[in-house]
Amino acid sequence: MSALKRTALGSLAFLPMLLLASCAAVQSGADILAGTGQISESDRQSIVKTSQAVSATFSQITEEQEYYIGRSVAALILNQYPAYDNPALNTYINTLGQVVVYSSTRPEIYAGYHFLVLDSDEVNALSAPGGFIFITKGLLRRCKNEEMLASVLAHEVAHVSAKHGLQAIKKSRLVDAFRIIGTEAARRYGSEELAQLTTAFEGSVGDIVETLVVRGYDRKSELEADDLAVKFDVAAGYSPQGLTDFLQAMTGDTAAAASGKGWFKTHPSAEQRLEKVKGRIAALSPVPMEASVRTKRFEQSVAKLK
Amino acid sequence: MKKPIPLTLSLSLLVLIVSLLVAETLTVKVQSTGLRSTPKFYSPAVQTLSAGQKVEKIAVQNGWIQVKTAGGVVGWVHSSAVEVPKFDLMASNTALKTQASTSEVALAGKGFNKQVEESYRAKHKDVSFVWVDKMLQIKIAAAKIEEFMKKGKLGEFGGGR
Repeated sequence: MSALKRTALGSLAFLPMLLLASCAAVQSGADILAGTGQISESDRQSIVKTSQAVSATFSQITEEQEYYIGRSVAALILNQYPAYDNPALNTYINTLGQVVVYSSTRPEIYAGYHFLVLDSDEVNALSAPGGFIFITKGLLRRCKNEEMLASVLAHEVAHVSAKHGLQAIKKSRLVDAFRIIGTEAARRYGSEELAQLTTAFEGSVGDIVETLVVRGYDRKSELEADDLAVKFDVAAGYSPQGLTDFLQAMTGDTAAAASGKGWFKTHPSAEQRLEKVKGRIAALSPVPMEASVRTKRFEQSVAKLK
Repeated sequence: MKKPIPLTLSLSLLVLIVSLLVAETLTVKVQSTGLRSTPKFYSPAVQTLSAGQKVEKIAVQNGWIQVKTAGGVVGWVHSSAVEVPKFDLMASNTALKTQASTSEVALAGKGFNKQVEESYRAKHKDVSFVWVDKMLQIKIAAAKIEEFMKKGKLGEFGGGR
């Protein structure tokens, strides 16, 4: 190998280190140049702003911030769908939900996961960041056993666990928020910073609600949530057949599909998802089977809804 | 003739020795979590740990970390409840920082917090948070969840894996 080639390969190996160090380096480099008068203050600010914009991502949102974003998203969902005030049913959904959470990839989040039935005949299930998970009476009526319900809840837990909701926030909001967080040392903000943060917060919450209620997640996120749901089901001891059974029921529900509301508006076609889910289950075989003891308690818990 | 130890092996040995010598301090990043007697969610909590509390890592097992509190109490926490310090290659200082600059600890209480929610609610008086708070009050005792799993043949009581 020639000396030239060796040098070139050596530089290539060093490249990832340089890339990792680049954001912080850009900032300190800009500070030095401004200090020596080689660039103006406005140039320095724009260089630093650009490097911050590059590094602002949803993954920098802390657990606590995710919780506060989720609270407002949940409040807006509850503004559209009333809560179903049935303590026995909500206890059942929450107990089952926790079992799924225990088997998930992010079981501990800031204030834990909480589940609530919505008093609506529309078929829908929604999850806000921070673990606020909703399921409508309409969807519950479509479930025939505990496995189907567990699969729907597992799909929603997966959206939270993989932070799909937070990924719906436009980057510009995060750039604005992180700029204020970065400059202010205090935990309580002055009126100007508070107004700017509130605007970024309002925008972030709006981005997520629009995705959950109007546009839906992209296909990639939905398929990832299905994949994870199968994984969580199997880990918890539920038959992942619950997910295929649910999707099958959705493909046959032409009346609800024709309404174009809720789940049918925001999810990719059930047929497309079914194929992928079946492949995933086959790869994990053998998987747990449905148990009559679970189906019996499911029927008792949702009996009043029928 | 004795073979010299390859460089990569000796480096990994060095890293192993250093990591064994330096006790790792973890910080709780969730509002509260149980310090459990065994590495299971429905295992009774010996103590409650709060956000920001520091614990020392002892051992790791299937996503659970055995820790010791400042008061000397030993128990298990789930790895998703704590922030594990990591070496920060982004640090501009010559000395390596052991905590990432955007860490949960550094940003605790900052950004979108209670004050920002209050400011948002003042602007949107029509949005009710009553059921959000009611939802947060729904808490199922660990023993109830264990019973539910046992009766339903779930997790370790059935076909879970």
